[in-house]
Amino acid sequence: MSATPDDVLPGDTKTAAQTSTKAAQAEAEYGHLVKSEYEHGFVTAIESDTLPPGLDESVIAIISQRKGEPQWMLDWRLAAYRKWLDMPTPEWAAVHYPPIDYQTISYFSAPKKKELKSLDEVDPVLLETYEKLGIPIEEQKALAGVAVDAVFDSVSVATTFRDKLAEAGVIFCSISEAVQEYPELVRKYLGSVVPPTDNFYTGLNSAVFTDGTFVYVPKHTRCPMELSTYFRINEAKTGQFERTLIVADEGSYVSYLEGCTAPQRDENQLHAAVVELIALDNAEIKYSTVQNWYPGDEEGRGGIYNFVTKRGDCRGDNSKISWTQVETGSAITWKYPSCILRGDNSVGEFYSVAVTKGRQQADTGTKMIHLGKNTRSTIVSKGISAQHGIQSYRGLVRIAGKAEGARNHTQCDSLLIGDKCAANTFPYIEVKNPTAKMEHEATTSKISDDQLFYCRSRGLTEEDAVSMIVNGFCKEVFNELPMEFAVEAQKLLSISLEGAVG
Amino acid sequence: MSAQALKSDITATAPVPEASPFDRWLPATPATAEPDWLARIRAAALARVRSEGAPTGKSEGWRYTGLRTLLEQGFTAVDEPLSALLPEDIDEVLVSGLDAHRVVIVNGRFTPQLSDLSNLPAGVRISPLCTELAGAQTALADHLNAVAGEGAHVFAALNSAGFEDGMMLHAERGTLVEQPIELLHLSVGMDEPRIAQPRHLISLGDGAQVALIERFASLGDALYGNNALMEIRLGRDAALKHRRIQLESPSAFHISGVYLSQAANSRYDGINVGIGARWARTDLVTRFSGEYAECNLQGLYLAGDKQLLDYHLDVHHGLPHCASRENFKGIVHGRGKAVFDGLVYVAKDAQHTDAEMSNRNLLLSEHAEVDTKPQLEIYADDVKCSHGTTVGQIEPEMLFYLRSRGIPQALARRMLCIGFAGEIIDALGNDALAAYVAEAVGHRLEAVPL
Repeated sequence: MSATPDDVLPGDTKTAAQTSTKAAQAEAEYGHLVKSEYEHGFVTAIESDTLPPGLDESVIAIISQRKGEPQWMLDWRLAAYRKWLDMPTPEWAAVHYPPIDYQTISYFSAPKKKELKSLDEVDPVLLETYEKLGIPIEEQKALAGVAVDAVFDSVSVATTFRDKLAEAGVIFCSISEAVQEYPELVRKYLGSVVPPTDNFYTGLNSAVFTDGTFVYVPKHTRCPMELSTYFRINEAKTGQFERTLIVADEGSYVSYLEGCTAPQRDENQLHAAVVELIALDNAEIKYSTVQNWYPGDEEGRGGIYNFVTKRGDCRGDNSKISWTQVETGSAITWKYPSCILRGDNSVGEFYSVAVTKGRQQADTGTKMIHLGKNTRSTIVSKGISAQHGIQSYRGLVRIAGKAEGARNHTQCDSLLIGDKCAANTFPYIEVKNPTAKMEHEATTSKISDDQLFYCRSRGLTEEDAVSMIVNGFCKEVFNELPMEFAVEAQKLLSISLEGAVG
Repeated sequence: MSAQALKSDITATAPVPEASPFDRWLPATPATAEPDWLARIRAAALARVRSEGAPTGKSEGWRYTGLRTLLEQGFTAVDEPLSALLPEDIDEVLVSGLDAHRVVIVNGRFTPQLSDLSNLPAGVRISPLCTELAGAQTALADHLNAVAGEGAHVFAALNSAGFEDGMMLHAERGTLVEQPIELLHLSVGMDEPRIAQPRHLISLGDGAQVALIERFASLGDALYGNNALMEIRLGRDAALKHRRIQLESPSAFHISGVYLSQAANSRYDGINVGIGARWARTDLVTRFSGEYAECNLQGLYLAGDKQLLDYHLDVHHGLPHCASRENFKGIVHGRGKAVFDGLVYVAKDAQHTDAEMSNRNLLLSEHAEVDTKPQLEIYADDVKCSHGTTVGQIEPEMLFYLRSRGIPQALARRMLCIGFAGEIIDALGNDALAAYVAEAVGHRLEAVPL
């Protein structure tokens, strides 16, 4: 259903809005903005249509209304919001930042031009911005068959390769489209892996998420290409609340790439995304991330706060979910891509490289919850900390009483560059089944003088030598990335460590 | 209104409770002859106990260790010394063949008539803590609570608030004590559940060498509690071998803490064996006050049916060139539960730290549970730190090997368990003690349906 400006707030919402006088005021004040957008048609210069900062039920209603969402979606958001109000902010992570005032964030920001049919309709100014960032959308078609669902701030503006995917029966679209076009699928799976009440940030995300990606791979289908979304944060003071939902039906396979860049900012930006993966019987999902958001300046000012909840559910037997991440950006990373190994013989994998330098802080890791029989999981985490970077691996391996024959291998290695950085390891291991086999290893070290001497005696500069050694240290994880991504990740790592050595 | 604002409103108005669930653990009548400084320590500790209350599952250090059963027992402080025991009464709990100077603590009180300190070499002084406190008013002011201070958890504060007696051991500079010193905690069940809170102070002067065997045992299968706290200070080049054998009664509740401060080049070699008690929590906390010190912590725990054994290790490397080793092994069976939480913290300037942690567990039954949390926090770059953890069952190949040689299944499994535990038992380094522990382990495994 598509909402017209006239049915601004449907029945139920009004009741909810009446509980707050502020909500009513907001409606009166901004309702005309909603209308004017449609009355005056399209504008040529890129001007973000941004809601004023603040969050209450009326803001959620406006977001939902602008997205033209059905009533159930709005109810879902409001329920999440009400629960969120009573939730505490998590404080257990080893990261430090000033408290965030959630009332100073604007919860909606969208390029005004909407419903584009093809790339030609995309604003050239916007395309130019992408090109500066080296994301050539036009060339993507040629590039190894990667379909790109580019996100400029919060609304998808261009979706390519849709037809080719449609031929295979794969649904690849923005989540807002999915809410309207495939409501039965979204309703069935949304929040089924990461419930809104999971934690503070998922509560917030569930209430205000504005866009994201939806992927559905039908039964016995191998997705013909690797799916990819580039996220960009462009509007100052805009929190990004992405919601990604990927469903792989029985016997299907999909590989999804997520990459991020962001321009320089003066003020900290909050990013609280939620990613849910669902793999049914014999299905496999591979999810790769290269994250290079703005980490802040040398003093750590202005970087992105990346508070993300990612979780995959191996719901079916013999299913597999694999997370690979290369995290080099963000001022603060708070991220634990997890796997719930529910189906028998299901497999979970987590491969991670995280780099913290300057004043970056990263608290990242994974959770592997073994519920089914003969479930297997592998965790390989490589942390590199330089300058004043603080890095923590925080992982949970839980083997439930019924997980006969479960197997886990965990390896966490930290590399320290300089004497002002930190590397922490906080593994939690809970085993309730005697047939389980669980191994955990962790080491912390620095680049040894011998290694450096060896390289330098062969004519390499110190910087090259370090870059080489670090790349070798991370090889195990890079091998898991799709080709183009692996190259990009290696480049990123070298760039990230520039100036961090010596 | 933001969620933050709502939350801060609640915390701001929370009143400090006037009482805590542990108030009855404290002696009813405070000792009158106590020096002022001790009264101040007790008052501060009590205030802390009251403001913190009992830890819940939400406190990080207690997430796997429920306190419900402990609090349900309604423990009260031991009110009067048990003086009726004769030396022959304790024969059954002695280690046969162990040649040692002996201190016996009965229900938390130093009991001279059961102790044997006749051959104590010169330079070593062992005395009841209560007489030390009554005698020299200020001598211990700098010692007590110097190691187990602020950072310790609520049970350490509780001990400070409520202890009445314990052992004071001081070895002067350069003293070498050849025979081990045995510290036996003997608990005797009373008509109602009582908890004893002994406090021990150990200090070794520069270069002194002592072997201390600390044991927890009971007469009968009574229900009782122990909240023991030991503070150890090692001088430069001092060496302490510390063996701790916990064989409390199967109904007992056991809390113990060892707080250690090591000066330059000192060596601490500790082995913890935990077999007894229904619910046991042990904290081993190490701080280095000088460089090139070494701390070696080993452990073996056997958690059986409905038993909970919890070990918390906390080694803080605040200075460069120190080394620490942690090696804990566990066997868990029945509905037993074992918790291992080890933390190695390397501060910013603690370069050349060498730290190694290992925790290996054998799960023998369907309902057994192991929760392990080996943590590293590292703020220096030129360090060597590692940890390893495993949880598994007996290898079928090993079992097959033994069975193919005609050894019945149950015996084969027991042999493999004893082999697994052997590494720690052998490290005890005292034949009589090793035989005693091996027998206790074997006895326990025999009772297990394997």
